[in-house]
Amino acid sequence: MKTGISVFVATFVALGASWCGFVLAPLLQLGGAKQTVVLQTTDNWPLQRTGAATLGLQVYRANGCAACHTELVRQTGVAFEVLLTSAGNNPAAVSNLISNLKLAGLTKEEADDANAKITAIGGKVETRLTATGADIARGWGLRQSVAADYLYDQPVQLGSLRAGPDLANIGVRAPDLNWQLLHLYAPKAVNPNSTMPSFKFLFEVRKIGNAPAPDALHLPKEFAAADGYEIVPKPEAIELAAYLLSLKANQPLYEAPFSPVTAAK
Amino acid sequence: MSDENKSCSVPPPGEPTATPSTAPMWIIVVTLILLFIGGIYFDRNSGWFNAKVYSPYASAENLDACQPQSGAAAFIARGKKTYEAVCGVCHGPDGLGKPGQAPPLAGSEWVIAKGFNRLAHIPLMGVAGSIQVSGKDWNMNMAAMGAALPDEDLAAVLTYIRNSWGNKASSVAGDDIKHIRAKLPAGAQPMTHDMLMQMPE
Repeated sequence: MKTGISVFVATFVALGASWCGFVLAPLLQLGGAKQTVVLQTTDNWPLQRTGAATLGLQVYRANGCAACHTELVRQTGVAFEVLLTSAGNNPAAVSNLISNLKLAGLTKEEADDANAKITAIGGKVETRLTATGADIARGWGLRQSVAADYLYDQPVQLGSLRAGPDLANIGVRAPDLNWQLLHLYAPKAVNPNSTMPSFKFLFEVRKIGNAPAPDALHLPKEFAAADGYEIVPKPEAIELAAYLLSLKANQPLYEAPFSPVTAAK
Repeated sequence: MSDENKSCSVPPPGEPTATPSTAPMWIIVVTLILLFIGGIYFDRNSGWFNAKVYSPYASAENLDACQPQSGAAAFIARGKKTYEAVCGVCHGPDGLGKPGQAPPLAGSEWVIAKGFNRLAHIPLMGVAGSIQVSGKDWNMNMAAMGAALPDEDLAAVLTYIRNSWGNKASSVAGDDIKHIRAKLPAGAQPMTHDMLMQMPE
């Protein structure tokens, strides 16, 4: 084979180039990711998960949750709004001006323009920024997911199919541990239209002893166990629920900014 | 056998043959135009591989400009803008000053003093003659650079220099400057070291 050397070199270059693109470049870009802070605060982000939630990530993985759920909020744009905080010495002129101005759904330039116009006649304003996009309109998060959110995920389970809703912010959307457990045991008990399979095997049916167990599920009649029996979550169910409660995308970061819902005072 | 060899070495008429030829000029031109357009698109939308820049933001500058600001942060950002336009030319964007031209503001006892009365008189009146800054003697003249600035802007600048480059001091409000401006010493003479030391801090 006369061309052996050139075939080897060509193969090496082709594989080497794809390794550089798929492995080396992302490593250089994100390999040094560190814990960051929530915008305008000194709070760390993200927080290391509790022990139960860390184990829950493996339960999430083992049960293939990522086959039907994503953990990635997408954002397509930003919108600005200008809020009047003080009318200054000339309230009549300010109110006259703002009645003729568009103050919500602005671009950065429009917001700066409105800000300058109102400030010029003595009013004081605050410019607020919100993330926009289909996922955010669905209430799946207040901003897009960024690399920092997955700092303590091993492995990262982004998912690629949304048979169920996105879970990046489920810990904020459904913050009740009992709701999570009930939903895992019998999804139709909390949402009649749910297509999620029941994860009954994460629970144990036990004969009630002297008194019902404190962590037994309170189920509607048609889902409840037979008389004299109760349904108690196994450790896996508790861990999975703890993991779900740890998923949050509700704090502004430098790379995904928005104005906090309650104005800092 | 010899017939077959012969037929191989001399292709029958009509068979395609490979001959070296140059690439047409239009392909090269179109490729260069596409590369140029791609380069412009990349520059405007890639964020230059910055790990902090995500899609609706096109660049690090764009992301910086969109950071929400309220209250103190917005006031300091406003002061920074004015400082860089008016003061930074001599005192430097890093507040370190220029030897022989302008004393440093970072760590200067005039800037981080408990009260800002003396500090506010410097941009309002200007300074002439020898003045001690951070243990060094500076002999220069400063014009009343802040006299023409609106109260709010001057207050923002003073708040900015009192809270940047490691400085940590109270902030200044627009109304404070208004009061100081109302009671400026008569005459447009620049301040001297002694005059500043005589007034309350």
